[in-house]
Amino acid sequence: MIGKAYNPAWAYAEAMHAAAKRWHKLGLISPEQHRAIVTDYPLDYYRPNIFIRILLFLFTLIASATVALFFGLQLLEPLGLREEASIPAICLLMAVGCFALLESTIKSSRLYRAGSDNALLYTGLTAVVALLGYLLSQVLPASHRYQFSLTDSYFLLLLLPSLALLVAATIRYADTVVAVAAYLAYLLVPTHVLLQFSAGRLLLPFVLMLAAAVAYRLLAKLARRPDYLYYKTCLTWLKALTLATFYLGGNYLVVREGNAELASLPTSVQIPFAPLFYACTALIPLVYITMGLRRPDRIWLWVGLLTMGVSCYTLRYYRSVLPPEVAATLAGALLVVLTAVAIRYLRTPRHGLTSAADEETPPLLNLESLIVAQTASVAGPPPTGFQFGGGHSGGGGATGNF
Amino acid sequence: MLSDQLLTDLQARGLLPPDQAATIGEYERTRPFSLHYELRTLLYLGIVLLSGGAGVLLYQHLDDISHSVVVGGIGILMAACFAYAVRHRQPFTWGQPRPAGLLPDYALLLGCLLFLALEGYLQYQYQLFGTRYGLALVVPAALFFGLAYRFDHRGVLSMAITALASWMGVAVAPLEALTQYYFYDPGLTGAAVTLGLLLVAVGIWSDFQNRKRHFAFTYLSLGSNLGLIAMLAALFFNGSAPWWLPRPVSVVLILGVSAFLIWYARRTHSYVFILLGALYGYVAVTYLFFTLLDFGGYNPLRELILTLYFPLSMAGLVYFFTNIKKILRRP
Repeated sequence: MIGKAYNPAWAYAEAMHAAAKRWHKLGLISPEQHRAIVTDYPLDYYRPNIFIRILLFLFTLIASATVALFFGLQLLEPLGLREEASIPAICLLMAVGCFALLESTIKSSRLYRAGSDNALLYTGLTAVVALLGYLLSQVLPASHRYQFSLTDSYFLLLLLPSLALLVAATIRYADTVVAVAAYLAYLLVPTHVLLQFSAGRLLLPFVLMLAAAVAYRLLAKLARRPDYLYYKTCLTWLKALTLATFYLGGNYLVVREGNAELASLPTSVQIPFAPLFYACTALIPLVYITMGLRRPDRIWLWVGLLTMGVSCYTLRYYRSVLPPEVAATLAGALLVVLTAVAIRYLRTPRHGLTSAADEETPPLLNLESLIVAQTASVAGPPPTGFQFGGGHSGGGGATGNF
Repeated sequence: MLSDQLLTDLQARGLLPPDQAATIGEYERTRPFSLHYELRTLLYLGIVLLSGGAGVLLYQHLDDISHSVVVGGIGILMAACFAYAVRHRQPFTWGQPRPAGLLPDYALLLGCLLFLALEGYLQYQYQLFGTRYGLALVVPAALFFGLAYRFDHRGVLSMAITALASWMGVAVAPLEALTQYYFYDPGLTGAAVTLGLLLVAVGIWSDFQNRKRHFAFTYLSLGSNLGLIAMLAALFFNGSAPWWLPRPVSVVLILGVSAFLIWYARRTHSYVFILLGALYGYVAVTYLFFTLLDFGGYNPLRELILTLYFPLSMAGLVYFFTNIKKILRRP
C-alpha cells in the first residue's frame, strides 16, 4: 500500500475544530466545552498564514531551481558528462532529492500544506515526468523523439505512467492540484485513443461524458470510506470538476469549436448529432440546479448556475436572438423577479431550504460595498461629439459603460 | 454524516453528555439549507443587467413611439423601487439599525441605478440642468448620500462616493483608482489626493464620533487607496504633482496615512488596512531612504547599506507576515 504521508488525525482534528467553533457560535455548546474539545484535539502541525505559505512556496521553488542549475553547471559539466547524460542525471537528482526532503520535513517539522511541502511535491513530480519523457525519447524511433503531442501514437507510453504516478501521489499526499492533474491525465487517455481513428472525433464527446460519469461514481464510492476526511478538499474539487467536464463534453459550443480545431478547419461548421448537443446544453444545467436544490448539494447548485451562464453564452454565440441591450434588460428583469419570488417564498424555510443566512456566518457587507463601487455603473449617452461634464462617463458611474 | 461521527466520538471521550449530543445531532439533521448568498448574487446580477440594459435602451429609437414607453417604464420602475424601500424603512439612527431585509435593500440599489440612467438621459435630451454640468453630477451624489444615511445602505454609500468622485473628475473604484492616468495631470492628482484625504477624514469622524460607525470601512478603504496611489504618483512622476504637493509633503502624508492605517488595523483587527498601510508605507520609506542616501556621496558604508537594504527588507517582510496575527491582536 502507498500509505498516507501526513497524519490522518490532523484532518480529523481540523474538522472537529471547525464543527466545535460553529456549535459554540450557535450556543449549542458552552465555552468550557468548546475549550475542552479544542485542547483534546490539538492541531499539532505546522501551517502558517496564507502570506507566509505563498512566500515559502516561492522560496522553495527558487531554491530547487537554483540547486538544479548548480548541479548542472558546477558538478556535472566539469566531470565531462555530455548533455545527454546530464539532463537525466539532474532530473533523477531532483526527483530523489525533492521526495526525500519532502518525506523527512513532513516527519521532522510536521508540515501540513505549509507551502514548502506543496512546492517540493510539484517539483519532484515534474522531475519524474521529465525523466520519463527523456528516457522514452531515447528508445523511441527518431521521428517520434521529443514529440509528445496528443495525436502522436507513442503518447500513451508517457501518459499512462504519468497517470499512475499522479494517482499514487494523490493517494499519499492528498494534494488538490495533483488530484486535478491526475483527473485531467485520466481524461486524456480516452481522448488520445479515440483520436487515433478517423471516426473517433465523432465519439469523443460521448466518451468524455461517460468518463466523467464513471469518475463521479467512483468518487461517490470513495467518499464513503472512513478515511475520506483526509481527502476532503480533493474530493470536493474533483466532484465539481467531473460535473463541469460532463457538461462541457455535451456543450454545443465546445463540441463544435473543438471539432473544427481538431480538423484544422478555418471556421467551425455544423456538427453531426447537433440536436442532441442542443438538448444537452439546455438541459444539463437545469438538471444540475434541480438536483442541487433537492439533495441539497451546494456543489451541484454552483456548477449548475455556472454552466447555465455558459449555456446562455453558447446560445448568444451562434444566434443573436435579441439585441444585447434588450436581452440584458429582459434577462435582468427575469432574474430580479425570480429571485424576489424565491426570497419571499423561502422566508419561512420550506422543502429544507431557506433564504436566510446561516446564523454562524455574518454577511459580507463590507466586501459588497467595494463590489458595488467597482461594478454599479450606468451607460452614458452615446458619443456623438456631445461633451458631458468633465469628460468622464455620464451620471456618476465612473467605471465606463455596461 | 460527518457531524454524527464527530458527536459519537465526543460522547465516547466524555466531552459531551448524550442528551446534548442528541440535540446537536437533531439540529444538524433538520437545519434548512441556506440559499442566502446564491440568491443575493443572482439578485445583484439581475439588477446590474436590468439597469445596464435599460440605460442603453434609453438612447435608442429616440424618435420612435416605443421610446416614450421605455422612458415611462424606467420612471415607473424607479418610483416603485423607492416606494418599496420607503415602505420597509427602519427608523433612523446613528448606530446600526435592524436590517430592512434583502428585497428592500436591493430595491433601493436598483432605484438608484435607474435614477442615474434617467437623470443622465434627461440632461442629454432636454438639458435639464442647462450648461451647469457640475450640477448634474452633484445632484445624484447629494441624493445618494442622503439615501445611504437614511436607509443605512453601504452599497448606496459607495455609489454616492463614486458620484462625488466623478463630479471632481476622479475615478474612485478600487481598480480604476490604480489605473487612471495621473502623469502630467496635476489637476487629476490634486483632486484624487484631496478626495482621498477627505474620505479618510470622514471615515475617522464616523468611527470616532460613532456616526454610522459601520460606514467607516467604505470611506477608509476607498479613500486611502485613492489618496495613497495618487500621492505615490505625485512622488514618482515629474509633472504630475500639483503646486501644493511638493515631494517632502507627499512623503510625510503617505507615511502619516500609512501609520494611521496600521494603527487603525490593529484597533479593528483588519487585514485589509494593515496590508494597505504596510505596502504604501514600505514604498515611501524606501523612497525616503534612497533619497537621503543620495545626499551622502560616495563612501564604502553606503555601498554596504545599499546591498543589504533589499535582503534586509525581505527579512522584514517575512517577520511581518509571520507575526501579522500577533501584530493585529496584541492589545
